[in-house]
Amino acid sequence: MSKHHHSQEKWFEQPTYYDEIRFKGYSRRDFMKFASMMAAFIGLETSAIGQVAKAMETKPRLPVIWLHFQECTCCSESFIRSSHPIVADILLDKISLDYSETLMAASGTQAEAALKNTLEKYKGQYILCIEGSVPVGADGVYCMIGGKTSMQILEEVSEHAAAVIAWGSCASNGCVQSAKPNPTKATPIHKLVKGKPVIKVPGCPPIGEVMAGVIVHYLTFGTIPELDRLGRPKAFYSKRVHDTCYRRPFYDAGLFVESFDDENAKKGYCLYKVGCKGPTTYNACGVMKWNEGTSYPIQSGHPCIGCSEENYWDNGRLYERASSFAGFGIESDADTLGKYALGATGVALAGHAILTNLNKRKDINTLTAEGEAGDVDVIE
Amino acid sequence: MGKRIVVDPITRIEGHLRIEADIENGKIKDAYSSGTMVRLIEEILKGRDPRDAWAYVGRVCGVCTSTHSLTSVRTVEDALDITIPANAELVRNIMHCTLYMHDHVVHFYHLHAMDWVDVVNALKADPKKTSELAQSLSHWPKSSPGYFSDIQARIGKFVASGQLGIFSNGYWGHPAYKLPPEVNLIGLAHYLEALEWQKEIVKIHAIFGGKNPHPNYLVGGMACSIGLDDVSGINAERLAMVDRLLTEGKQFIEQVYIPDLMAIASFYKDWGAIGGGLGNYLVYGDLPTKGIRDTASFKFPSGAILGKDISKVYDVDLKKDDEVQEFIKHSWYEYSGGDDKGLHPWKGESKINYTGPKPPFEHLDVKTNIHTLKHQGGMAMPWK
Amino acid sequence: MAEKLLRVHRLRRIYVWELPVRIYHWINVLVLLVLIVTGFYIGNPLALMSGKEASEVYTMGWFRFLHFAAAYIFFFNFVFRIYWGFAGNKYANWKQFIPTTKTFWKELKTVLKMDILLMKGNKEEREHLTIGHNALAGLTYFGTFLAFLLQCLTGFGLYASMASWWFPKLFAWVPFVLGGDILTRQIHHWTMWFFILFAVIHVYLVFYHDYVEGRGEISSMGGGWKFIEEDYFEKNKPHTPNPEK
Repeated sequence: MSKHHHSQEKWFEQPTYYDEIRFKGYSRRDFMKFASMMAAFIGLETSAIGQVAKAMETKPRLPVIWLHFQECTCCSESFIRSSHPIVADILLDKISLDYSETLMAASGTQAEAALKNTLEKYKGQYILCIEGSVPVGADGVYCMIGGKTSMQILEEVSEHAAAVIAWGSCASNGCVQSAKPNPTKATPIHKLVKGKPVIKVPGCPPIGEVMAGVIVHYLTFGTIPELDRLGRPKAFYSKRVHDTCYRRPFYDAGLFVESFDDENAKKGYCLYKVGCKGPTTYNACGVMKWNEGTSYPIQSGHPCIGCSEENYWDNGRLYERASSFAGFGIESDADTLGKYALGATGVALAGHAILTNLNKRKDINTLTAEGEAGDVDVIE
Repeated sequence: MGKRIVVDPITRIEGHLRIEADIENGKIKDAYSSGTMVRLIEEILKGRDPRDAWAYVGRVCGVCTSTHSLTSVRTVEDALDITIPANAELVRNIMHCTLYMHDHVVHFYHLHAMDWVDVVNALKADPKKTSELAQSLSHWPKSSPGYFSDIQARIGKFVASGQLGIFSNGYWGHPAYKLPPEVNLIGLAHYLEALEWQKEIVKIHAIFGGKNPHPNYLVGGMACSIGLDDVSGINAERLAMVDRLLTEGKQFIEQVYIPDLMAIASFYKDWGAIGGGLGNYLVYGDLPTKGIRDTASFKFPSGAILGKDISKVYDVDLKKDDEVQEFIKHSWYEYSGGDDKGLHPWKGESKINYTGPKPPFEHLDVKTNIHTLKHQGGMAMPWK
Repeated sequence: MAEKLLRVHRLRRIYVWELPVRIYHWINVLVLLVLIVTGFYIGNPLALMSGKEASEVYTMGWFRFLHFAAAYIFFFNFVFRIYWGFAGNKYANWKQFIPTTKTFWKELKTVLKMDILLMKGNKEEREHLTIGHNALAGLTYFGTFLAFLLQCLTGFGLYASMASWWFPKLFAWVPFVLGGDILTRQIHHWTMWFFILFAVIHVYLVFYHDYVEGRGEISSMGGGWKFIEEDYFEKNKPHTPNPEK
């Protein structure tokens, strides 16, 4: 990051990650272990571990501003669940989390002053993390902080951010509040922030280590991680949950849980038929799992609800494979409507056949007579 | 007319809260609180599959994650007259107790402690005295002078860096902080320990519900199958892990959280006389052992206390129209039958009607309207 | 008898459907049948209550394999048909499907009146006839081509993320544009019903034309021949979109 060169002097006296870690009593071996784990998370080649280690040895703490809009704070909660022993330490102490309504000591005027201070002091250098969507309905009154709307705050704070991270499904795609009828007109961040990289980290919430991984990538390389077409880090969102699921062999075999209390559920068969959205969901749940690799929804017997997918609240019900047809009530999936349409077509065609015999009787008779006559003619 | 002060944002809570207070002669004469964010999940929920409702409702809060989901599945089961299996009831109770443990500790250390514990003042503590004090309070092993001295040095270095992060602009050194440096240091050390601890206890949610925050629930029971020798499901290994997590969780609460709570509270006894609201308290009760309808079977009983008189606990019936009502007179909502009446939640309406000042604004117009956007589900709820 | 004899028409035999068109048609029938059956299975697989281990069975895998294999055949068959729309005879030409002339719209109206709504019609309308596709059929087939395209895009779009060959990966952009795999899958499923309804109506109308016109409509997809009354042919010079060919 070229910007760091200009600011190097200012940060010269500040301890690096490596200083801090050594200071805390972790050995260089511990540190290298952490660096290689982070490298693996970010999806780097083994040769890049040295680079991660080096970056963390030499770079000062990165100012981070974390805003909360229309959200439930599950992203902040997931972030502090990040589980590798020193990840929580690094990310709470080693980035400089200068503004976070969930964790910061200051409130009100003092909190706003802390925000202002970072905006001025680290102009163009801070990372802006956003948890929550922005309601643009009713001129933004559905989310106000300090008498200002979230729209106004976002505009001010994003202006000089080095990069913007949209945490979770709220900031990435609007999540539950943007589900129909979206009464507050909840809007994801990338639709409001222009001319700046916006990293989407969807999920409700995203996995803690994924969140940590995104930040560590930035710390290490000073650039945002490689993103896919939707703006998600490829390292964590390029595989479907289905393709990394340990129950996949049951799917291929055609062995499915039919209901949650059947024998198949006990045997751990595939949850496809009870609505699992794993086949249409891109996330790292099957690989990294949740809460230090303890489990993930499918492992605990519940289908994936597809929480990292855009519009997942409106794209079909949780426990059904087939999705309901908009405007036809919740029970109307494509197959139900298809069967009705097929029935209607059958009736229409039968009617048409009857009418044909009535309306075109003369033509048909003529044709028959002609055919018979022709036949006679040939015999004669 | 005194001075009006505004505190917005109120930090270390879930959601967005604004307080305006009128100060006269150094005392708060009146105060107005206002929830300033709304998502209208009630409206979004209409017309959805009732089996899915828990997922929508759960997203109301990610800090007290799982409670809203639990309430939602119980509601649907009540409406459809579903009795859940005994194991499901146990699993739900274990999950709820897990949250109960997690939430109390996180609330105390990470959300509330910085109002009592002066982080910077902890640097003045004598590690040896701190150790003696800690050991007099509990058997928690992390209490050596070296341990506290390391923490102190770590925070010292942190403060010296000038980048104070989450401690930026705190009220450090304010006379309202009453703790001696040694107690501050214990509080700070345990703030950091609790941060590590909290991610462990919630693994119980991951085992039964697949993840935390926002574990999965299921109308009719729980999705996790149980069988001691099941390959996939809640088998002996998983149960042993739950047992270990609960035991360790309990240790931390008994040896760290409660001693800290008592120690810190002893310096702030005068705060006990402040606030407390109207002195009327209502608890719905929880931890059913024979189904949610049998309130007598609750391990955590329900009841109401009036006028701070704890000698008498009144029975409550949540289903009675006149016992539980939502009032929106002081909210930015409107009721079709007039805003003065209360409605039982079953008959509740959620029509939003913002009449507050146009942002950006300095103050709420409390004279003509003291409306406030409610936090989801947080309407004023009087009992009887 | 003499009177009746006058009405016996001399029929002209016309080679309408060339062999490639017929092969295309029957491959389509077969492949669509496979795609629909396997598609239904993939969408809602049967409850297999076998006591076998997952390593011993591969039911879903086979259904999926059949679906994907059929999809490739369907796709390349479709691409070939587009090519034949430029290389084939006038009945196979792309102008049969896309309205470019006034007569196309006029014929469309006539077919609607005479064959769908079964109205009496005027003399001109009554005497109207086509040899290849009539205008309404042509336009409907154009609609099916669009549905083919949609089905190929959504199908290969869903397949892209699990594919190793470069070709299906070319479709990886589709779910991103449509708003995710969930919606893409739904569109793929909905569109299948279009094919089912199309097939039913298509088969009915083939019987209908054969029944009321007696020109070998059904057998034409076998040998490629259709028959038309010589005097009608001379008199009307039936509609062909590019008579010069």
